[in-house]
Order: sequence, then structure tokens, then C-alpha cells
Amino acid sequence: MTADIEIRNVSKQFGAMTVLDHLSLSIRAREFIVFLGPSGCGKSTLLRMIAGLEAVDSGEIAINNERIDHLPPGKRGIAMVFQSYALYPHMTVRDNMAFGLANIGVPGKVIEARINEAARILEMPHLLDRKPGQLSGGQRQRVAIGRAIVKEPKAFLFDEPLSNLDAALRTRTRIELAQLHQRLQSTMIFVTHDQVEAMTLADRIVVMNNRKIDQIGTPMEIYERPATKFVAGFVGAPAMNFVDATLDKSGENVTARFADGISVQTEIASSQLTDGKYTFGIRSEDVRIVAAGQGNADGVVDVLERLGERTLIYARLGDGQQIVGSDAGNSRVAVGDRIGLAFDGQKSHLFNETGRAWHAREA
Amino acid sequence: MVDRLAMTPTATLAAGVRAPTADIYAPQWRNFIFVAPFLFFFTTLLLFPLLWGMWLSFHKADTFSSGNFVGFGNYVRLYHDKVFLQSIWNTFYFVLLTVPTLALIGLFLALCLNRRTRTAAVLRTLFFSSSVLSVTIVTLIWRIVFIPNVGLLSTIYGWFGATAPAFISDPNLAMVGIAIATIWWCIGLPMMLFLSALQQIPQDIYEAAALDNANRWQTLRSITLPSIKRTFILVIIIQIVLQFQLFGQAWLMTRGGPNNLTKPLVLYIYDTAFRRWDLGLGAAASEILFILILIAAMAQYLVTRSRGDQA
Amino acid sequence: MSAPAVSIKGRAFGDHLLLALVILLSIVMIAPVLWVIGLSLKDNAELMADPNSVFHAPYTLKNYINTVGTSSVFIWVRNSIIVSGGLTLGTLILSSLAGYGFARLNFPGRDVLFVIVLFGLAVPEQAVLVARHQIFSMLKFHNTYQGLILPGLSAPFGVFLMTQYFKAIPKELDEAAMLDNAGRFRIFWKVLLPLTLPAQATLGIFTFLGAWNDYFWPLISATKKDMFTLTVGMASTQTNFAQSEGIGFLMAQAVFAGAPILIVYLFFQKYIVTAVSGAAVR
Repeated sequence: MTADIEIRNVSKQFGAMTVLDHLSLSIRAREFIVFLGPSGCGKSTLLRMIAGLEAVDSGEIAINNERIDHLPPGKRGIAMVFQSYALYPHMTVRDNMAFGLANIGVPGKVIEARINEAARILEMPHLLDRKPGQLSGGQRQRVAIGRAIVKEPKAFLFDEPLSNLDAALRTRTRIELAQLHQRLQSTMIFVTHDQVEAMTLADRIVVMNNRKIDQIGTPMEIYERPATKFVAGFVGAPAMNFVDATLDKSGENVTARFADGISVQTEIASSQLTDGKYTFGIRSEDVRIVAAGQGNADGVVDVLERLGERTLIYARLGDGQQIVGSDAGNSRVAVGDRIGLAFDGQKSHLFNETGRAWHAREA
Repeated sequence: MVDRLAMTPTATLAAGVRAPTADIYAPQWRNFIFVAPFLFFFTTLLLFPLLWGMWLSFHKADTFSSGNFVGFGNYVRLYHDKVFLQSIWNTFYFVLLTVPTLALIGLFLALCLNRRTRTAAVLRTLFFSSSVLSVTIVTLIWRIVFIPNVGLLSTIYGWFGATAPAFISDPNLAMVGIAIATIWWCIGLPMMLFLSALQQIPQDIYEAAALDNANRWQTLRSITLPSIKRTFILVIIIQIVLQFQLFGQAWLMTRGGPNNLTKPLVLYIYDTAFRRWDLGLGAAASEILFILILIAAMAQYLVTRSRGDQA
Repeated sequence: MSAPAVSIKGRAFGDHLLLALVILLSIVMIAPVLWVIGLSLKDNAELMADPNSVFHAPYTLKNYINTVGTSSVFIWVRNSIIVSGGLTLGTLILSSLAGYGFARLNFPGRDVLFVIVLFGLAVPEQAVLVARHQIFSMLKFHNTYQGLILPGLSAPFGVFLMTQYFKAIPKELDEAAMLDNAGRFRIFWKVLLPLTLPAQATLGIFTFLGAWNDYFWPLISATKKDMFTLTVGMASTQTNFAQSEGIGFLMAQAVFAGAPILIVYLFFQKYIVTAVSGAAVR
């Protein structure tokens, strides 16, 4: 089963504090959408509002064009996987999975069939008669997912489900989740603060910051054309380089000028920008290391980080600002070297004081 | 299924009629049903009698009627009643005898028995086991022990050729005798409380003290005792509240004698209300007791509150 | 744990002194009990003639046989079982329901009511005795089982304990169950209650013990001999030591009454100790 979900102008207050501020969002059927953001941005609250665990103060939520925000959680056709899994400790895995269906009077045989099918998909038929206390973290997570699958819901909600797993398990489970989505072809809403999870799993990402949605887009859209400075800095590791700049709008495209006389030619139309203070942004992979004097700027190498397939060079400009650039994995650069930094103007971004972003024209 | 829901202000802004949103955590009257049974008994058998008792204390009442309103008359009678005043004094005396002793012996035992050896476990069980007996059995045991000529105490004194003190019949010693029996009975609880407090002291502090060359007495004085200061106060207050309510031991061992010298407040209440059937007076006496205990209980509540912050 | 074992010579003497004190106290604890057991195993007449005969044979079980033969004791035991059992069952049910209500559900006035219940903890029995007695006189509840059981149901302790315990269970369990279409009662019955078994055991034992040993209320409410609980009944035989059926016999009764409780204690030690120290540490 699958469904599209419509969130219209939704707000929520906790006492005097506004936690969500007039949010609107359309989620398409079969989509894997990720709510991404730092702690406190409201993403979990939004998820819980869809589930019915938090009240909607104003606005509406609809599934398949039917309003659901007045329905209790059980009646919305939604299943949720909690961060702590919330398995019933005193029941076996089988009973955990059967509980929801038994409560609405589904016949025993149907329950049995669904449990077996879910166990098969998740590769855990041998765990069915154990209790949660006897399972490992990864196994418990499967049970939590299994409990959701048997309900055949219109949509799956995941509240930071990978946070409690160790790193290796996290990567494996990520892949399994992607496979699950392919297999079930269900709408899935996934909440996380980890941008790697968002980038790898999502069809679309909803980046939330400070009670509002900053951007909705595919992972590549978010990455290459971030709508705000926050999105630009939040997604991608290492974080994007930000340098204060002034604008030279004399040409058709803007030239950004840093202190120290460094200038970079962008491909952003001058006509789009008003005057004011701007921040120049560029990702480390778009900053090449060249011989001193041959790039846009010169710098002294502060720190080297060898990652294997590339090397991150942290260089200090004349005015003390730090820029991160990329070189080959077997780079010969050493700490203290004087190097040149070449900025790829086409990949440059400009952000104004309110955080709004401009990028190069689409090719 | 739409519950009785929280009406939000914005519901009135929306155009047209719309069902209010579901709030699963909103207050609902029908959730009352879970607490109703308990609250029924709580109200009828605790709150109501509490208030009625206060009302009764202002009347001259007996079993047949509530009698006339006498204002503070009962309290004035109490004030002039030598037996009542004696019983207050007796209660205080008893509390003074038992509470410090219980706290100190309890602490001593906890300090000595706070080990993981089998002997310590057995002894801990031994010292706590008296607490599960009823007052009847405890007083039976101690009456027999104290009986002149025939009791255990007399027998032991007899081995040394002496006569045992007459703990039950001697006016000067009767209360002490009751206190001894009570301490024997109640030692388990203070010991347990101190034990759990001692077990919450982190091991590292002791190790640091050992590295600082502290000997046992210094460790005790500077580290152990300050760490359990709060528990000590707690034990004192719990015991004060408990021992204020002395009844069974006095009633069964000495009947409050000789000469009302071992008559505690509760026995006075029992006598007045349930033997002389002067209910108004009895109610007044129990209000006095309540006030005295309330003060002690309040102190306990405040201590545990701030202890909770520390814990 | 006690201080680590850093050995200093001077400790030996201190250690022995402490040991001696503990042994002395232990003797004081156990000697009276042994004495009583010894007395119960002696013939009454023999004891009257020479009290020191306790220390040597012959010993006899006669007193116990007579105790068993005295029908009153069994009636009292039956009453105690009914009252204590009834109160325990009632308390567990009421406290669990109310604990869940206060911990997990929202209703108008919940917080205020909880504070009032909390204050009830400070009210001593004596402050409500006289009024309760009057109420039960009017309802003709004296000398009945309900008269002995009902007052105990108003005690806030159990509700307080269960509320704290329910609060400690993660809320996500409730939420998962709500998504599983379980109603509030179902969540209570099938999801949360099974997780409170340790608290139930603790509360149950604590309540049972308290009811079994209760003296004051049964004393004034059950005035007919066949409604006595064991505690009250035994006290009633104590009155005339000298003229009574004999010291040996009395002691046998005491042992007979005390032994079961001590055996129960030894079995359930863990729960009783937790209940007692946990309750006061609240």
C-alpha cells in the first residue's frame, strides 16, 4: 500500500514557543523522503504530528486527499519505527508483530501469514520466538521494522532509526533500508540529523532549520544548488568554505573579491544581486591545489588530512582565513608549504545576509 | 472514532465546519475512571474522616450523638488534664529514648555489616527479622524476658547472684523497658536505610582517602559520615514520626502504668475515645497528635525533596 | 563497600572490639527468641516449679499440640488471611489503576489531585480513627471483614509507588501501542502492567505484612472473639499471665503465630527489604 501525504500550512506551539511555523509540504506516493536538520529544528515533531502523537495546532494533514489530523494514531494507516524501537519487552517477537493486527480483529491466519512474510523479507524467521531482551541492537531494529511491515500501512515513518546502531551496522542497515524501499514500493518518511543518511537514502530531502523548511529537493539539487547558507553548510563533508566577499558587478557575471585582493570570477548574473554584504561559498572539491602564484589565491598549508582517495588541504590565506581544498590521494604537499588555490568559478555560490543563495546559471 | 478533543483557538479561524484535531494527551474526563476507585476510598475513608475528626473535636460527642458545639472546650479540658499532659511528656520521653538509640545502633550495625561476606549477610537478616513480627509477639517475648524471678533477664542476673531491675513494674524503669523492646523490634529499618546510603558512596572516594593515608577513624569521620548526613536526618525524622505513634507496646506490656507513667498519647486517645467513649475529647487529642506528627513529617518531606536534588 | 583493606597493626584490637560488640548485639537479638522457643517446649507445671528447667530436658511438644487443638487460633489465622489477602489484592488493583491514571493519562485536575493524595501520606492513622469508627458504626461494618479491609484501601502509599513506577517506563511503549490501535485500557492491561511485576511484588508483600501485623484498627473494630485477627487474638490471651494457661503454652502460641511470618520473610527477603528501604528513600 502506498499513499501521498499532504501537509498544509501546519503550525505547532509548545506553550509560548513556536516549534513549527506554517509548514507546507507534498509527499508523493512511493517516495522516500527524508526530513533532515539539526536537533531542535522540528523534524521529529513534524513526523510525530503525521503519526498523531502530537496535536496539530493549526493547518491540516491529509493522506490520499483525506484529512487525518483529527484521527487517533491507530486509525491513520501509518506505521512508525521509533528511535529506541519501543518493542514490548515481555512479548515474543511474534507477539510484538501480531499485537497491532490482533487489536483490530484481523483473523489469526492472516496475521500468521503476514508475520512469516515479513520475517522472510527481513531474514529473521529464527528470531520469532525470542524476546527483545535476547536480541542484539540490529535484530531489535528489524523487529521494529517487521512490526511496521505487517500492518501494511499507507506510509512508513522512521524516527532516527539508525542513531542507536554502531557505525558498521549503520552502513549495512542503510543499504538494507534502501532495498526494503525498492521492494515494498511504499511511501517512507525518514527523520535524521545525519546528512550522509539523507543523501544516500532519499528521493527528496526536506532540509529544516529553526522551525521552517529551508529547501525541498533531490539530494543532488540540495548539494549543488543549496537554497540557503544553512543548507550549504549542513550538507556535504567537509563543510563548504565560506569567505566574506565584496561584489564587483561590473561584468555580466559577478566577480567576488576577498580581502587581500583575491578575486574569483563566478558565473552568477550580476543583474540578480543587490548591493550589500555577501558570503562567498565553494566546496573543497572545487578548490584545486596548484603551484603558488598560479591560482586565484596563495596560502600556507596548515593541516593535511589524507583520506585515501583524496587529500584535504587546510590552507591559510594572507588575511588569516582558512580554505579547505582537495588534492589527489598521493599528494606531495606538506605542512608549511606555500601553495596556490584555484577556485572553480562555475561552482561558486554567493549568499546574502539573510542566507539566501545564488548559483551559476543552469547549463 | 473522534474523542472529546482539545479545542484549539485556530479552529474558529478556519473557514466552514471542521473537526478539531486529535490531541492524545489532552485532558479527558473519561480518563478519570482509572483513578476513581482509589479516590473513592481515599475521599471517604481518609479525607472525610480527617475533616470530620476535626469537626468532632469541637463538639461534646459520644457514640449516640454528635452533641453540642463546645468550640475549643475539649482542647481546654485537655490542657487541664494532668493525664493528657503526662501522656505528652511520656511520648516525648519515649521518643528521646528510642530515636537516638535506634539511629546510632542502626548506623553502627550498617557500618559493621556492610560487607559481602556470608556472615554479614546472615547477621543482616537476623537484625532485620524482628521487624516482621507483630507487636503482639514482640511484647509477649519481652514480657517474658522481663518477668521478675522467672524471666530471662532475672535468670541471667541470677547467674551473677544479682536481682534484675524490674523493667515493667518499676515506675522509673517502665518506659525504659518498653524502649528496649521497641529498639529490639525496630532496629532493622534504620540499619537498612544506612546500608543503602553507604552503598551509594562511590568506591573511588575511599581509594583516594587510602592514597592520602587516612586511617579508619579519619575516613569514617571525614568521608563516610558526611556522605550519609542526609540519610541520618531522614532516619531520625522517620523514627520520630513512627515512635510518636507508640501504642501496642505500652498497652500490652504495662497498660500505661504504673500511674500513667508509660501512657503515650495514642493510648490516651484509645482510652478516651474507645473506652470512655468521650469521642469529642478523643478527637481533640488525636488532632494534637496529628499536628505534632505533621510538623515532623513536613520536615521529612523537605529533607527528602532536597535529597532528591542531590541524588 | 567498607574501606579497602589497608592493613595496619593497630586495627587488630579495634577490629576485635567491634566484633565483640556486634556479637553482643546479635546475642541480644536472638537470645529472647531462643528463650521463648525453649519455654514453649517445656511442660507448664515443670516451668512453674523451676524456671531454670528450661535449660535441660525433658522437652515436649505438648504445648504445640494443645495450641493446634485450641480452635480459636485457627479462626484467627483464617481471619488474618482473609483480611490481609483481601487488602493486598484490593490495594494492588486500586493502586495499579490509579498509578497508571496519574502517570500516563490526563484528566482535569490531575496534578492537584495528585498533590492532595501525596499529602495524605502524612496523615497518621490516629487522626482519622475516631471518625472512621463512627462511620463504620453507622454502616454496621464493625466485626465484619469489610470493616477490617476497607480502611487500608485509602492509603496513598501504594498509589505513590505505582505512579513512580509507571512514570519510569518509557513513553514510547505507549505510543507504539497507540499506533497499534490499542485503547487506553488495553495499553494498561497488555503492555504496561506486565512490566510492573517487581513493583507489584514489593507492594504486595509490604501490604500483606502491614495488614497481618496491624493491631490498633482491628482492636477497636473487631470486638467479637471470632472476628479477631491473629495479632489481636494473640494479644487477648496475653492479658493474665499469671492465671493463664501456662507460660509454656503461651509461648507455643507465640511461636506458632510468629514462625509462618518469619518463614515468609526468609523467602521473600529481597522484596521486603527493597520495599522498606525504597519506600522511605522515596
